[in-house]
Amino acid sequence: MAVLASFDWHFIWAHHSEFLAGLRRTFKVAAIGIAGAFLIGVVLGAIRAHRIPVLSQLAAVYVEVIRNTPILVQIFLFYYGLPEFPGHPIRLQPFTVAWLSVMVWGGAFNTENFRAGFEAVPARYREAGLALGFSRLGTFANVTFPIGARIALPSSINTYISVLKNTSLLTAIGYAELTNTAYSLESVTFRSTEVYATLGVMYLVVVWTLSALIRLVESRLALPEER
Amino acid sequence: MIALLPDWAGPVAHYMAHQGVKQTLRIAVFAVVGSALVGILLGTLMTIRFPPLRALLRLYVEIWRGLPIVVTIFIVFYALPSAPLIHHRFAAFTGAAVGLTLWGSAQVAEATRGAVQSIPREQHEAASALGFGWVGRHVSVILPQALRRLLPPFVGLLANVIQNTTIASLIGVTEVLSTGQRSTERLAYSTGDSHALAIYAAVAAAFFAISFPLTRLAIFLEKRLV
Repeated sequence: MAVLASFDWHFIWAHHSEFLAGLRRTFKVAAIGIAGAFLIGVVLGAIRAHRIPVLSQLAAVYVEVIRNTPILVQIFLFYYGLPEFPGHPIRLQPFTVAWLSVMVWGGAFNTENFRAGFEAVPARYREAGLALGFSRLGTFANVTFPIGARIALPSSINTYISVLKNTSLLTAIGYAELTNTAYSLESVTFRSTEVYATLGVMYLVVVWTLSALIRLVESRLALPEER
Repeated sequence: MIALLPDWAGPVAHYMAHQGVKQTLRIAVFAVVGSALVGILLGTLMTIRFPPLRALLRLYVEIWRGLPIVVTIFIVFYALPSAPLIHHRFAAFTGAAVGLTLWGSAQVAEATRGAVQSIPREQHEAASALGFGWVGRHVSVILPQALRRLLPPFVGLLANVIQNTTIASLIGVTEVLSTGQRSTERLAYSTGDSHALAIYAAVAAAFFAISFPLTRLAIFLEKRLV
């Protein structure tokens, strides 16, 4: 294995604390982003599925704008664009832009996931809920949400994995998540092979572990008829 | 129309259109054509029942779908040149185009595998009975039918590839986002006002104008072809 002969394993061990600090920031931003994307998805998905006037159209515009523009441009708009807002400059910390941008992006994709999930709940279930005396909100909380969210589970989980992967783009605004940490480390040590091999392996371990866990959760939470 | 724009906007728009948009389109064309060719080939090979080949192709797909695109591009651009056997520095354009192609080809391969496997067995059997070999059977009979089913996800991928060309700005390709960023820096230096909000909003609007019709088309095709 002459290919591996020059690979410096010690280098990776010597810098493992930096890599782990970067990974921790990636997890932190992803966790906030995913939690926010879940909430946005449930609320706006319900508004879309129940066709609540005005709000539903506004949610549709939000979804289409986010899905059809590059997330890197969205990050730039938050970080460089908002401070230029005429008359009312908004200056955000890199950390705020970090979780906000991945949350807004994930929320748009999740709105579609949950809209499709809620719309797939048979109308007769909702009618049954209303007939039993539940209010409209009670019917949503006790009937539409538990069933629709489980229908939306596979697609929404894919969105959460994408949210985590998208945090890597925050390197563009210098937020020291995993990719940015690796980039900085490479620019002072010039050990590009070691640094980027480690970076790639770390992302694959995280993404593959999440995907495997998800298949496990999915089979436990799937609706009985789909098991 | 032009008269309504402020003085600074003219040169910026000229620079972004002639340098930025041109580079964005070049990367997008390279990545889309590369992803289609490599992805359809690998996806068809994935349907062969030969475990070692299957495992190898599965690994290819899972690696390039699992990594964030920016990490793939960094690996190609920064790490690959110092790898043994290669020892060759790529231009930033090549690094970005190859990185996007690795990601895109993995997406196309997975979609092609599904499309090829959805073609009924009888089609394979009939083609074999007519004397087609494996290659002839796939090229003349199976793939033409599979491509119809591949069209909606491919149009969706086209929109995604175009959006993801912006990631090339992170390794210094002067595509449209990068030319926008340089313009804001130059304006901030020369006039004290970067006009970042207007410039990035214009970039977003341009991407929306291309991407929105494509995603609509993908939904339309999906409804029509199924």
